[in-house]
Amino acid sequence: MTVTRERFEQGMTYAEYKAQMTRNRERLEENERTIELSPDDIAFFANLPETLNVLVITEDWCGDAIANVPILGRLAAESGKLNLRFFLRDQNPDLMDQYLNQGIHRSIPVFAFFDAQFHPIGHWIERPAAITTMQEKMLASLYATDPAFAGIAPGTSLAVLPDAARTRLMQAFADFRAETRALADREVVRELRELITQWLSNRQEG
Amino acid sequence: MDIDSGRHLPKIRIVYCASCGYEPQTLELVSALMHAFHYDIAGIEIIPWQDGAFDVAVDGELIHSMYRDGGFPAPETIIRAVRERLAG
Repeated sequence: MTVTRERFEQGMTYAEYKAQMTRNRERLEENERTIELSPDDIAFFANLPETLNVLVITEDWCGDAIANVPILGRLAAESGKLNLRFFLRDQNPDLMDQYLNQGIHRSIPVFAFFDAQFHPIGHWIERPAAITTMQEKMLASLYATDPAFAGIAPGTSLAVLPDAARTRLMQAFADFRAETRALADREVVRELRELITQWLSNRQEG
Repeated sequence: MDIDSGRHLPKIRIVYCASCGYEPQTLELVSALMHAFHYDIAGIEIIPWQDGAFDVAVDGELIHSMYRDGGFPAPETIIRAVRERLAG
């Protein structure tokens, strides 16, 4: 993962990113206002030994980005220890292709952390792992119990689902996002802390 | 159904992962189908989805699934499936 200081500084600040958004800005700012961060989380980032550079790859149409970018925005604002630069995924393939999810998917958002000398610390993609697992369980339950899925095998492609099942599936995903939001927010912060804690530990050993 | 001849025209449904950036492959396939068939299809439905999907169904039959078959389909594969239904 190679990102130079010069390339990083070509990115937008958070304020510039929000100013150029053509959709979902209200949702992003509403999420930013309502995210609950604990004093312990703020203290963790505020007490970092140096300001970290965070490269963010995102797009304004992405639901996971609208949910998770504001968490990073709040952490940066309240800790004063995260220097954020934003890049649009579809206009920056040189950056995106360094952070492919499972080596193939151009999933966003991407939060890539660098120390003050631009040594990579680690990166985070899309959504917390625990939420992906819960989503899989929700789907299994939906297929097993919802009448719209009677006779339909789990994992059936959306391309061949009857319209009623497809509508139900889309609604179930929307409900899931709403119901798990607080947990998802906490998991994002926990995973980011874990990533940085590992770096701090390696740094002390080195 | 073709309004002039009354024959059945296939309907194509493409599900693509929007958060994975599969728009170019989707548009490439749509373009290939439009140029190959002009009026000889009932419609092309494009559904943005997630989780690495790139699936194509013709008249309710799954012709390609990224999860099942891997990768993106060659446009010729989908064109052949549509032609088979037009001939049948």
